[in-house]
Amino acid sequence: MDAIPAIRVVDLRKNFGALEVLRGVSFDVHRGSVVSMIGASGSGKSTLLRCINRLETPSAGEVFIDGEPMGGPVTANGERKERPLSDINRMRRDLGMVFQQFNLWPHMTVIGNVIEAPLRVRRMKRKAAIALAEECLARVHLSEKGTEYPARLSGGQMQRVAIARALAMQPKAMLFDEPTSSLDPELTDEVLTVMRELAADGTTMIVVTHEMAFARDASDRVLFLHNGQIEEEGPPDQVFGAPKSERCRQFLSKKLQ
Amino acid sequence: MSNWERLVWNQRGLLWQGLAVTIEVCAIAFAMAIVGGLLLCLVRMHVRPLRPVAIALIEFFRATPIFVQLMWVNYVWPELFGWPNTFFTAGWVALGLQSSGYLAETFRAGIEAVPRGHREAGYSVGMSPFQVYRRIVLPEMLLTVAPSIVNQFTVIVKSSTLVSVITVPDLMLQAMKLVNIWYEPIEVLTATAAIYIGFVFLVSTAGKALADYQRRRFGLNAA
Ligand SMILES: Nc1ncnc2c1ncn2[C@@H]1O[C@H](COP(=O)(O)OP(=O)(O)O)[C@@H](O)[C@H]1O
Ligand SMILES: [Mg+2]
Repeated sequence: MDAIPAIRVVDLRKNFGALEVLRGVSFDVHRGSVVSMIGASGSGKSTLLRCINRLETPSAGEVFIDGEPMGGPVTANGERKERPLSDINRMRRDLGMVFQQFNLWPHMTVIGNVIEAPLRVRRMKRKAAIALAEECLARVHLSEKGTEYPARLSGGQMQRVAIARALAMQPKAMLFDEPTSSLDPELTDEVLTVMRELAADGTTMIVVTHEMAFARDASDRVLFLHNGQIEEEGPPDQVFGAPKSERCRQFLSKKLQ
Repeated sequence: MSNWERLVWNQRGLLWQGLAVTIEVCAIAFAMAIVGGLLLCLVRMHVRPLRPVAIALIEFFRATPIFVQLMWVNYVWPELFGWPNTFFTAGWVALGLQSSGYLAETFRAGIEAVPRGHREAGYSVGMSPFQVYRRIVLPEMLLTVAPSIVNQFTVIVKSSTLVSVITVPDLMLQAMKLVNIWYEPIEVLTATAAIYIGFVFLVSTAGKALADYQRRRFGLNAA
């Protein structure tokens, strides 16, 4: 295992006004490993992912990507200098994000969605960007859909395009926020299959999910979040087989029945 | 020789000239309204210190009668700013101002209707706020508001008849000229009304068809 984790979250806190949503969350994600995050709705899972790639600014704590702090570096007299937005943008592209609602851009074709960031953020040549996009679409088994517009795809296909779009930036890690929760049950498998393949290829991933089977057999570690804190964590066998926390036990028994 | 032939058909050259001026005034006013509306909307939404100014202008343009604005631009602005120096310019400026107020609010509604997730997807792949705006927010907004934009153009066409009051030689002015030569208003004004109806119908049908075509191309439902 590497000395420096791909993602290190240290005592992360987030308030929305008086509401404390994250109350000191710390964990590491090692390179090539998959961490599944489970927990009841409202426990702060989305907020945690969004703080990691800074769609939300954490109230306190720090996130390190390959050892580099996302927040400002601490100066000699202990003050933190907030990073300029351009720096945050640069670091953000190292984290691919997949949303529950897909969030494809409806006015761009599938290929257009995938090459957008390589073209404009990494400033690749169009030809190279298209070659890269085709590679990414092949990984999600959608090679033949490049010229379609998103509205003509099924939910499962849309989510796979969203995965390809994130992969095209060749991120250091992928963050999934309930990627199958807005899909019809018969469409979840095609997305989960792609995610399992990514995991098998050694992609570093954090996956917020209600798919207990995926969490159990595709991840290296499972975190159970409750009220903005990690209530239980460990290898899947341990969390699913012999959870220490009563709340986790209850949550799982409801999910697995 | 029927009245229609004598009063309308034989004067068609004059009426076409008038229509050409109408189209010209409306096209310039429309372009100004789109640019001005977008500017007002963006300032209102994103430039904190100038926000009250933008709101005041938008409300002023929307709340004053178009006739008052026309008089105001035509008679007051030259005193204050030394511009506009032709009636023609005063005409499209007044029309453009009013529509820019309306379009500013249309654009704002359209921008607010772009799902937040679409922007966040842009940020998450490293796009800058400017790139997200230009590549995602504005195109999606235009797609939503296209029908309202077309509608605003027809409003401009109808309001544009007022520029005849400050002697811009538009279709309305030419028609009134003909009326005042023979004092036989029935055929001339009926024909003029028909031309306006035809023009507005043509523009709104073509505009709607174009907007729907775009939406269908993207696999979206017609607006
Ligand atoms: N932008 C926000 N403003 C205020 N409250 C928020 C915001 N985002 C999330 N919350 C609140 O934070 C809590 C956790 O939300 P979330 O992270 O979405 O939970 P989960 O993803 O686990 O369902 C919820 O109570 C939610 O209402
Ligand atoms: Mg959530």
